[in-house]
Formats: sequence, C-alpha cells, structure tokens
Amino acid sequence: MSQVAMKHPGSKGRFGGPVVKAKDSKGTLIRIWNYMRKEKAPLILAILFVLLTTILGLVGPYLIGIIIDEYVIPKDISGTVRMGAILAVVYLALSFFTWIQSYIMIRVSLVTIKQLRQELFDQLQSLSLRFFDRRTTGDLMSRVTNDIDQLNNALSQSVIQIFSSVLTVVGVLIAMLYLNWMMALVTICVIPIMFYTTKKIIKYSSSNFIKRQRDLGELNGVVEESISGLEIIQLFGQEERVFDRFSKVNERLRTSSANAEIVSGFIGPVNNFINNLGMGLIIASGALLTLHGLATVGVIAAFVTYSRQFFRPINQMSSLLNTFQSAIAGAERAFEIMDEVPDLQDKRDAISIDVLIGDVEFSNVSFGYKEGIPILRNISLQARAGQTIAIVGPTGSGKTTLLNLLTRFYEVDSGEVKIDGHNIKDYRISDLRRNIGIVLQDTFLFSGSIMENIRYGKLEATDEEVIRAAKAASAHRFIKHLPNQYDTIITSGGNNLSQGQKQLLAIARAILADSRLLILDEATSSIDTKTEIEIQSGLRNLMEGRTSFVIAHRLKTIEHADLILVIRDGELTEKGTHEELMAQKGFYYESYRNQFEMG
Amino acid sequence: MQALWNLLKYLRPYWMFAIIGPLFMCLEVAMDLMQPMLMQHIIDNGIATGDHSYVVKMSILLLAAALIGLFGGLACSIYSTKAAVNFATDIRQELFARIEQFSARNTDEIRTGKLITITTNDVSSVQMALLMTLKVFVRSPLLFIGSVIIVFVSARDFFPILIVLIPLLAIVNWYFMKHAGRLFRKVQETVDRINTKLQENLAGIRVVKAFGRQEYEKTGFAAINHDLTNINRRANQMMMGLMPVMLFLVNIGIVAALWMGVIKVEQGTSEVGVILAFINYLTITLNALISSSHVLMVISRAFPSAERIKQVLDTVPDIQESQEAYRPEKIKGNIEFRNVDFSYSKNGEYVLKEISFKANGGEKIGIIGTIGSGKSTLMKLIPRLYDVDRGEICIDGRNIKEYGLRQLRVAIGFIPQKASVFSGTIMDNLQYGKDDVSKEEAVFASSAANAMEFIEKLDGEFEHVLTQGGSNLSGGQKQRLSIARALVRKPPILILDDSTSAVDALSEKAILHSLQEEYKDSTTFIISSKISSVMKADRIIVMEDGRIVGMGTHRELVATNSVYQEIYRTQGGKEESVHESGRYETSWQ
Repeated sequence: MSQVAMKHPGSKGRFGGPVVKAKDSKGTLIRIWNYMRKEKAPLILAILFVLLTTILGLVGPYLIGIIIDEYVIPKDISGTVRMGAILAVVYLALSFFTWIQSYIMIRVSLVTIKQLRQELFDQLQSLSLRFFDRRTTGDLMSRVTNDIDQLNNALSQSVIQIFSSVLTVVGVLIAMLYLNWMMALVTICVIPIMFYTTKKIIKYSSSNFIKRQRDLGELNGVVEESISGLEIIQLFGQEERVFDRFSKVNERLRTSSANAEIVSGFIGPVNNFINNLGMGLIIASGALLTLHGLATVGVIAAFVTYSRQFFRPINQMSSLLNTFQSAIAGAERAFEIMDEVPDLQDKRDAISIDVLIGDVEFSNVSFGYKEGIPILRNISLQARAGQTIAIVGPTGSGKTTLLNLLTRFYEVDSGEVKIDGHNIKDYRISDLRRNIGIVLQDTFLFSGSIMENIRYGKLEATDEEVIRAAKAASAHRFIKHLPNQYDTIITSGGNNLSQGQKQLLAIARAILADSRLLILDEATSSIDTKTEIEIQSGLRNLMEGRTSFVIAHRLKTIEHADLILVIRDGELTEKGTHEELMAQKGFYYESYRNQFEMG
Repeated sequence: MQALWNLLKYLRPYWMFAIIGPLFMCLEVAMDLMQPMLMQHIIDNGIATGDHSYVVKMSILLLAAALIGLFGGLACSIYSTKAAVNFATDIRQELFARIEQFSARNTDEIRTGKLITITTNDVSSVQMALLMTLKVFVRSPLLFIGSVIIVFVSARDFFPILIVLIPLLAIVNWYFMKHAGRLFRKVQETVDRINTKLQENLAGIRVVKAFGRQEYEKTGFAAINHDLTNINRRANQMMMGLMPVMLFLVNIGIVAALWMGVIKVEQGTSEVGVILAFINYLTITLNALISSSHVLMVISRAFPSAERIKQVLDTVPDIQESQEAYRPEKIKGNIEFRNVDFSYSKNGEYVLKEISFKANGGEKIGIIGTIGSGKSTLMKLIPRLYDVDRGEICIDGRNIKEYGLRQLRVAIGFIPQKASVFSGTIMDNLQYGKDDVSKEEAVFASSAANAMEFIEKLDGEFEHVLTQGGSNLSGGQKQRLSIARALVRKPPILILDDSTSAVDALSEKAILHSLQEEYKDSTTFIISSKISSVMKADRIIVMEDGRIVGMGTHRELVATNSVYQEIYRTQGGKEESVHESGRYETSWQ
C-alpha cells in the first residue's frame, strides 16, 4: 500500500499498437551507451539510489507487519509510536531518494538526447542532395523529432523503471518467502494466469491496431487530398463522389477503431481482476493459515501491501519492454542517418580559395540521377569570365541539372567541370558555393522577417546594404507598401507573399551575396513583364562582370546572351549567339518564332 | 469546455452506450470497494473468533467479487468504446461534409492545413477525451467518494486522518499541475520552434547549400536545442517531484492510522482489521486522485480541439444556392460583368473595381496584366468561388446567383494556375470532368490538351495510377492533365488561368491551336502574363490595379494602349511582329 499504481492508464502508450523492433538491438544499445558514458558518474549515482529506494520500499510493509503483530495487537502504545516514527523516517527517505533518482536520470537523458539531436541535425547539413532526393521531409523530420523523443522517454523513465521493477519483484519475492513461504507460493500461483492473459490480449490487440493504423493512414490521405484540392472538387461538382470515398474509409475506420480500442481497453479491467484475485487468495489463505497458527494478522497486512508491489511491475513489464524496444528501434533509425557518408566531401588537399575569376568549362560531362537513366550526355561547353550563357530547351531536357553540377549539388558521372582551370572537385565545396549566387526555380524563403531573408545572402550585411540589394532587385517597391516593411514576418514557406514577390526577394538575396558566378534558373518566370523590365536593369547590373548562367522560358530576355545553348533530351544540340542560332533554323529558331509569332 | 459540451449532441444516437458503460464501471468500482471491507470482516470476525466456516464463506465472496468486477470492467470497456468511437466517427463525417461546402472565402479564413488537422487529429483527441471520461473519469471519482463514505461509516475513528489528508493531497496536486501545465506549454512551444526550424531547413536544403549556410543553420538549431533541453528538464524534474510528495503524505497517513489505531485498540473501540481496511482505502483514495488529474489533463487537451471542430461546424458556407434555383437545359455562354467590385476581406482594399464587360458565346478573350492586377480573381468570380461585393455577373442574361450551383459549375471548364490532380488513375482524374467519360472522349480531350503524347508512354496509359498529389508526374504533365480534365466536359465556358506556365512553348502553341479548332463554341478566357499566349484572341482585356485599362484586339491595343505597348515591348514586340501578328490574326479568324 505504500506504492501507488495507476490503474486504467487509457489505451495509449501501453497498447499503442505493434512494436517495431530494432534490427540490431545490441549494436544500437552499445552506441547509445557511448553517448551516455560521459554521464557515467551521475548514472552510477542514480543506480545506487534505485537500489536504495527498492530496499526502502520493501522495508515499509515489513515494518507495518511487525508493528501490527508486536505492538498494536499487544496494545503497546509507546512502542507503536516509536516504531511509527521509524516508519515515517523510512518513508521520508523513500520519497526523497525516489525524487533524486529521477531528477538525475532526467538530466542524464536530456543531455544525451541534446547531443544526439544536434549531431543528427549537423549530419543532415553535410549530406548531399542525392540523399535528400531519396527521403521525404516527413521521414527525416520524424527521425529527428519522434524517434529521438521516444529514446528520451525510454532513457529518463523506462530504463529506471525496468531496473527497479526487476529489483522490486525479486526483493518482494524474497521478503514474502521469508515472511511466510506458504502464502508466498499462493501468490506466485497467480503469475502464470497473468502472463497468459496479457499475452493473449497483446496478440489480439496488436492485430487490431494494425488494421486501425492502416485505415487511419488511408483516411488521412483522403482528407488531405480532398481538402487541399477542394477548389477543383467544387469546380467540377465532385462533392458527392469524394464524400462517398471518404465515407467508405471512415466507416471502415469506425469498425477497426472500435475493435482496437475495445480490446486494448480490456487490459485495465483484466489487470485489476488479477490484482484482486491475487489479493483475495492472499487474504483467504492467510486467514486460514492464521486460524491454524501458521500465519499472523501482521503477516497478512504485509502481504497485502507486498502483493501490490509484486503484481504491478509484472503487469507493466511487457509495456515497459515495448516502450524500450521501440525506443531502440527509433534510435536505430536515427543512427542510420548518422551512418550515411556524405557522397560529396572536400578532398583532403582541397584548394582553399577566396575569390574565383569565373572561367567555366564542361568537358564531356554525363550525368544521371539514377543509375542507367542518363539525364545529360556528353556535354561540353566553355564560358569565359564575365560572359552570359543562356540555356534553353524543352521542360525536362536537363537544363537545371546542368547547373546543379556546376554548384556541385551532384557529382558528374563522367567528364569534368572546371572553374578557372581546376576541376571543381579540387576546391573546397564551401569556397565554391560562396562564389556562386543562385536564384532557383522554386523560391524558398525561411520564416522570419524580410530583412533576415535577404540577409541570408550575406549574414554580416548592414540594413543599408540589404535595402540597397532590395532596390536593385526592384523588391523595395512592394516591401515599402507592406505594413511592417522590412520587418514584415514571412510565414513558413512564404505563403503570405505572391510567387513573384518571393522571386524578387530571392533575387535580392543573390544580389546581396555578390558572387563571381551567377545562376538564374527561371528567376523571373513568375514576375510580370512590367516588373521584369524594372529588374532587368538590376539584373543587368548584377550580371555585369560576372559569369552568368540563365535559364529562361521567355526567349526575349536572353537574346543578348554571349552564348546560347540548346539542350534537348540531355544533349547539347545547338550552340551560338542569337544571330547564329537564328541562322541555323533549328529548335531555337522555331521556338523563337513561335513565341513572337503568337505574341 | 463549452465547445466540448456542444459536441455532445453527436452522442445522442449512442446515449445508451454512454450510460451503460459507466454503469458497468460502477459495478467494477463497487466490487473493488468491497474487498477491504470483506478483508476486515475476515480478520475481525473470522480470525478473532476462530470461525473457520465464516472465513471460507467470506473468502469465496472475495473471489466472486473479483469476478463480478472483471465482468463490469470488460462490459464498460465495450460500451464506452462504442459510444466514443461512433461519436467521433459521426463528427468526422459531419465535418467533412461541411468542409466540402466551404467557399474559397471560408477556407481562406480557417486555412487548408488547419482544416486537415481538425478532421484528423482534433477528432481523435475528442474521441480519446470521451473514452477517458466514460471509463476512468467515472471510475476515479467513484472510488474516491466510495472510499470516503465507507471510511466514514465503518471506520469513523480514522475519518479525521482523511479530513486532514485529502485537502493536502488536493492542494499539492493542484500546485504541481498548475506549474507543470505552464512549463509543459512552454515545452510545447519550444518543440514547435524546433519542428519549424527543422522543417524549413529540410525544405530549403538547396538554399542552405547554395549559400553555404550550414554552420549558420547549425548554430541556429543549437540555440533552440539548448532551450528545449533546459525547459524540458525543468518541466520534467518538477513533474517528477509530484509522486514522491503525494506518496509521502499517504504514507504519513498510514503511520497516523497505526498510532491512532493502537490507542483505539487499547481502548477497545476499534479492531486490527479496521486499521488494515483503512490503510487500503487510503491507497485507493490516492490512486483515484492521481488518475483523475491525469485524465483531467487528457480531457483538457481536448478542449481546444473541440473548439476548433465547433468553429468549422459553426461556419456557414457563404456561397449558397438560391431557393428556387434556375436550372437551364443548356448554357450558351454569353457572359456579362456589370460594375463588379470585389474584395477578399470585409474592410479590405478592393481587388476589383468597376469591372464591366461582355463576352459573347464562343468568343476567345485574353486577359493580361501585372501581378496582383486582379486577373485570376476576376475569373474566380464566374464559377462563384467567391461572390461579388457589388454589381452582378450574368450568364445568358441571368445573374449567376440564380443558377443552381451545380448547373453553373458544370458549364465551366476551369483550369487553375496550380494543377492539382488526385490519386487514382488518369481516367479517374478525367472523370472529375465528366462522370461517364468514354474512352473516345478521353482520348479526344487529352489530344487537345497535348497530353496524349505522355499518357501513351505511361504504363497502362489511362489506367496509370497517380500517387497522392500526382507527384509521379512532372509539372508540365500535371498541367496538361488538368487541361484535359476541363476539356473533357466540352464546357460552354472555358477558363485558363495561366495554366500553361510549366508547358514548353511548342506544346503551348499546340494547345492554343486545338482550343481554337476543336472548342470553337466555348466562350474562352485565357489569362496570361505572356503576350504570346493571348495575342491571337478575339479580344484582349488589359488589367491594372483591379481595373480594366484597355480592351480590344492585339492590333488595336498595340496602336493605342500604353500599358499594353509597354508589356509588348518588353516581350520582344518589334515592328515585324506587328506584321506577323497581323498575319496570324487572319489565320485565326
């Protein structure tokens, strides 16, 4: 009675579905230990306290038994008061050490987790795009958040609980055997029943949970798709059809969810029953034994308390182990990321360089994102510092890919890319990228103020520099009309700005970065023509004296490029100035005529 | 709280379950409470008097009580779960049905992401709250009250201990919950911050790499990570103090019971069994108190969820069909805007001002203008995604508000800027346009949208299965599929809202050409920022700052309209282009 059991803890947690097991539990455990080792001293202290609290927890009921038999029943008031005081001290110590022990473990576990989380994030920063292409953001997110949190729970609570549960069970067993071996045997009899029923319920409930999880996943998919595509559904009058689809899944979920919850809800009453059964057996056998002089009332009292201490850890053991197991599996998923070797790394003797000149050369470059599916074949080109190179071609022909190689987002499969006469692999990646300013097709802004977003191009820029860059990109015009101007907060992903406005900010960001090479990948596709004229001069200023690569659908904007490259199906098919290509009457000529014939 | 209460009307069909469940729980509780009492009788009446048969009788009663309790518990689980799951499923159904009727203005207000979370997570947490209420939240107070009453009746001597202890436990519990609640809210805020940081970092990984900002990102993350660790530590270390303190109080209660007990036994007013029973009831009381507060936390977490659900259910779809809707057999497609003003928010700036124009059936109309000039908004008014604030829009001479919503929308083939396609086959997607689309119609529309070219190359062609959001198609492919979906209904009114932006120039030309040839009778609006896309239109509307600043053929506008001239110049309009466009205009007619 000195310890408290949480009965009916709800269905979550204990039977939250099937447990994912780690592939290599042992290896993962060792790695976790390596992180925790730095906290060895507090850890040992915590373990000592667990030992201490377990023993104190056993002493309590034992003392109660003695007090009843030797002091209360013989009506020894002063003796009872004295022993009661000792009991109070024991309980005080018990509470105090219990708290200290979890206090220490929380610290140990959080410090460990903090380091793990940071290392995981750092690792993500160093991995190349190829890695991110293979994984969804959601998957990576859940590894850094959920998986790590689970491990935290296990470290700060489950580990200690499992440890103290085992100690308690063993300790109680010894105490019971010592007090009265016959009653102890009766108590032990309940254990097989407990194991059997728990196992049955877990087996049955986890198969139900799998069904529920599947239906829930499907339902989430339908809801997400329908609500984000609501406008289309309404425009095409498909409300009923979509509703039917939703209803079907929802009905299925009604059944599977009820089944899963009902079965997992059984665990509470069943555990309660087993506790009561055990208690009943103890009282009954104790009473009978007492009648025959083989036990005492004090022993019964001690047993009643012990039986709670005894059954509860056994009841909880399976769910504790489950928590622990899924935490190990989670840690393993996190370690998987840690083990990824960044496929793009600086060479050991990489050249450290401050400023590049900007001569670019591609020779016989071939590349594919997946093996066997080449995107670029045998591309060779040369650009001298300060030139503007335009790249045109149909969607999906490999234009963006070509520029992804220049920034070394990906590594060429064969051939080489040179800047200033050195293979780009010879440079340090950070030096290389610092020298290349990029405005990407999909503009991405971070949540934060407009000021902060532009400053991303040059962290140490002053407010004046930022505003100057914004003016050069024609972004100042719209920013000054915003309620908080440069302090306007952009929501995550930049949904409160139009696509065109976001592009202007991205251009400003690149202008501020002030790099020797410039990549404009459809940088003005969402900007209307009027604004485009305005930033033309800004862009021209920006491109002046820099080697610039421009991808644009509107051919008008690239007419004056020093070199125009036509890429079709991954091959360089035409190359030359506007006049030369017009004279060739090839793809460029056709496209150009099309654009201006029709408009 | 209020919101959760309001939702309870969805429990009405299942009220039997919701009452039977807790009733069975009462049974379980009663049996649990009987146990210490039976034990007391065994000790004080059986052992003390050495009555063998009494002990046996009571022991059997003890086991029977356990069995009856088990039955009660299982039955409670069944009925409570049925009530909660059915309740939540019905709410979800209702929510979805309601959201489907939301106008664009409604969804703008609540936001798509939030609507999704409400339908999924919030409904689950309300279900959880009800389940907990029916099971644990009935159980714990009953155990608590039951214990107190039994102690009062059968062990009144020890009642003073409860009187001192219970308020103390309640105060301690309240104190911890209050502070822990505050701390855990902070934990949640920090967790949100770390999630946002992470999510953005991953989504913008190209930008991070392009600008070489890895170290900057790491430092930023480290700062939040540090905060999270600290706040988490404070919250958890605080929370972990609760149990030991409560335990200590209860254990002191036990010590007090022994002290008082020995005095009473000495006086002969009480017996040993009563002490033991009291100690048992004390433990039950504590358990009940602790689990109540845990459950209370789960339930209180559902309050904001219930509020959000209620917000959706209380939102009236602001675009409604008129009572006696006009449902014509056929719509010809004569459209007229009369002095239309429109603003997205009630007191906001007008996005469209004084718009008036007429389009005759079969006319091809181009709309051009700068970002934010109101082109897209103008088109969204025709299918009544939004309603006008002033003025009216008429189709075939009747205000569009008089039409049945379905009739109106069926007559319009709308191709939005963002091509959203749905999971399912290509054919499923085309069926969005027309329920009973035939293979021939599908091929015809797909060819017109220049989509046949890629559909043919897919496994299973029209039966090719698209993933959610059509992520296995490229942007240009999705746009062409979205065009085909609209064309398949052969609509009298066709709206292309800058819907060829991801399509290359040659494909675009082919699409525009087939619109001209195959969909002659459809009144067509083509919004674009490229003059090339609109210059062949019968008429071009030039928009700026929500107003129409010019209307006419390409040739007229080039000659007279300064805004148009400026756009034209920047897009490569030269003297010879005027000539060429002239040539095209003749070929277009």
